[in-house]
Amino acid sequence: MGVAMSMNNLARREFLKWLGASAVAGAAVGGKSAFAGAQPHVVVIGGGVGGATFAKYLKLYEPNIKVTVVEKNRQYLRPYGSSEVISGHISMQDITVSYEPLQKKYGIEFVFDTVTDIDFNGRVVKTAGGTSLNYDRLVVSPGISFNFAAIEGLSEEVSDTVMPHAWIPGKQTELLAKQLKELPKGGTVLLCPPPNPYRCPPGPYERAGLIAQYLKEHNPTAKVIILDPKNGFTTDLTMLQAWNRLYGFNIPEAFKGYSVKGLTAVGFSEEEAKRQLEGFKPIKHDKPGMIEWIMGDMGGRVVKVDAATKTVYTESGEYKGDMINLIPPLKAGKLALDMGLADSTGWCPVDRVTFESTLHKNVHVIGDACIADEMPKSGYSANSQAKVCALQVKALLAGQEPAEPVWQNTCYALAGNQTYGQFVADVFRIKDGKIARMANPRYLPLDATPVQNSLAALYTHAWMKTFTDDCFA
Amino acid sequence: MTKRVLMMGVALTGMVAASVALAEPTGEMLAQTCAGCHGTRGELSQPSAFMPLAGMAEATFVKAMKDFQSGARPSTLMGPIAKGFTESEFQAMASYYAKQKK
Repeated sequence: MGVAMSMNNLARREFLKWLGASAVAGAAVGGKSAFAGAQPHVVVIGGGVGGATFAKYLKLYEPNIKVTVVEKNRQYLRPYGSSEVISGHISMQDITVSYEPLQKKYGIEFVFDTVTDIDFNGRVVKTAGGTSLNYDRLVVSPGISFNFAAIEGLSEEVSDTVMPHAWIPGKQTELLAKQLKELPKGGTVLLCPPPNPYRCPPGPYERAGLIAQYLKEHNPTAKVIILDPKNGFTTDLTMLQAWNRLYGFNIPEAFKGYSVKGLTAVGFSEEEAKRQLEGFKPIKHDKPGMIEWIMGDMGGRVVKVDAATKTVYTESGEYKGDMINLIPPLKAGKLALDMGLADSTGWCPVDRVTFESTLHKNVHVIGDACIADEMPKSGYSANSQAKVCALQVKALLAGQEPAEPVWQNTCYALAGNQTYGQFVADVFRIKDGKIARMANPRYLPLDATPVQNSLAALYTHAWMKTFTDDCFA
Repeated sequence: MTKRVLMMGVALTGMVAASVALAEPTGEMLAQTCAGCHGTRGELSQPSAFMPLAGMAEATFVKAMKDFQSGARPSTLMGPIAKGFTESEFQAMASYYAKQKK
């Protein structure tokens, strides 16, 4: 943006802008397109949270744009909340989402097929089934893929059969649920979260809590050991406190979060931090609890696995597990990698205002796959990015300047049982060309009341419905 | 006709430039951030733990947000979220939601 334009171009843009502004009236009176030429066509690759929300909101913001979604699966399995399938609270059916409302209510075209090629110069998307789609703008929301090669002994086959990640829901989610049910009495669950950045920052820890809660009810001498490359995680202050209360968890000495520095880092004032810390009295459990957290500084990073003996080797030792949930390091979805939309980090660089790829023109990348600075890779982020991107694509197609963006993210997470909830909540804006978090407190305070925790759990479950509706219905 | 349209276009550009200088997002832009919990355009398809925002009186919306921000109204998540916005942004969101049908 801000590129000098010739007078002719400028005049044309102003003209288009005026036309764009009268789009709704024009459609109502004459049913004519808001655009000077043919009706613009926006193609979306990927029907996850990002792609679905983008398609729906672009139609809401501007019904005169044709929108086609290319998605390989007929139904969507939502990843958010899917750990509750593992703990048996919900079924695979409960996380299955239909694409019908997007097609019927909003007139969005769906092509259920796999993309095989994108001609960036000719602006054409080609699919395995032989469909060719010309686009004015392309939006790619490809999600994540896994870097199995980063860990010795790990492969896609090992994940599919012995050490499921279940970080994209599917057969691996069902396998983990089965493994948990069949866990020997007093058995060991190893849960290995990935290094940053990854999808759903509180997710692996929420899952650890859900598993611990299941074990508390069905197999109370069993335990969960978390083998982590990191020294902290989003919601750590409230999550570790909850585990200390619920699962006999001892907070590691090496964890530095419960300090003025730790609390001000998550948005509390110094005075507020001191007040909270004064009242913070974790329980000192005299025997090992149901959850143990081997953090990065304690040598928790996984370096090697042996599927045959179900052994995980970390920087500090070896652990045998009866059930192993290993989430490999992540990168952008395969399509983004195959089509040259990712850089050497494995993620996709974009203009932070419009989400247009800095590698290919007229192509926008949203959701987990894009580089969005302080914005986490979460469903709520993808949803908020999709709406911002829809407003920007609408403006750009009408020859207008992009709008000043603002985003929000909320990740609700259960500590383990169904009545102890927590969250991270943030507002994001552009600052010095990057996406920056505002300085609000992000978590519940350490002196949150049981009512606040139970309300957060209630909202966690309510959100599954309202959020799915906002994306898909 | 064309000339008149172009002049309107120039006038619109002036308005856009002014809002960019203030760097304040539009009500529509601000409101999208709430919809993940409070529903598309503030509408919820069924009764929920969340408050529907569509059709809410502007003054009610602004007061609620200001009270969440100051802590006068206890909350779980709305306090933190409200602290991320300004009062004039509350007004822009309120104006957007007041116009949405219930």
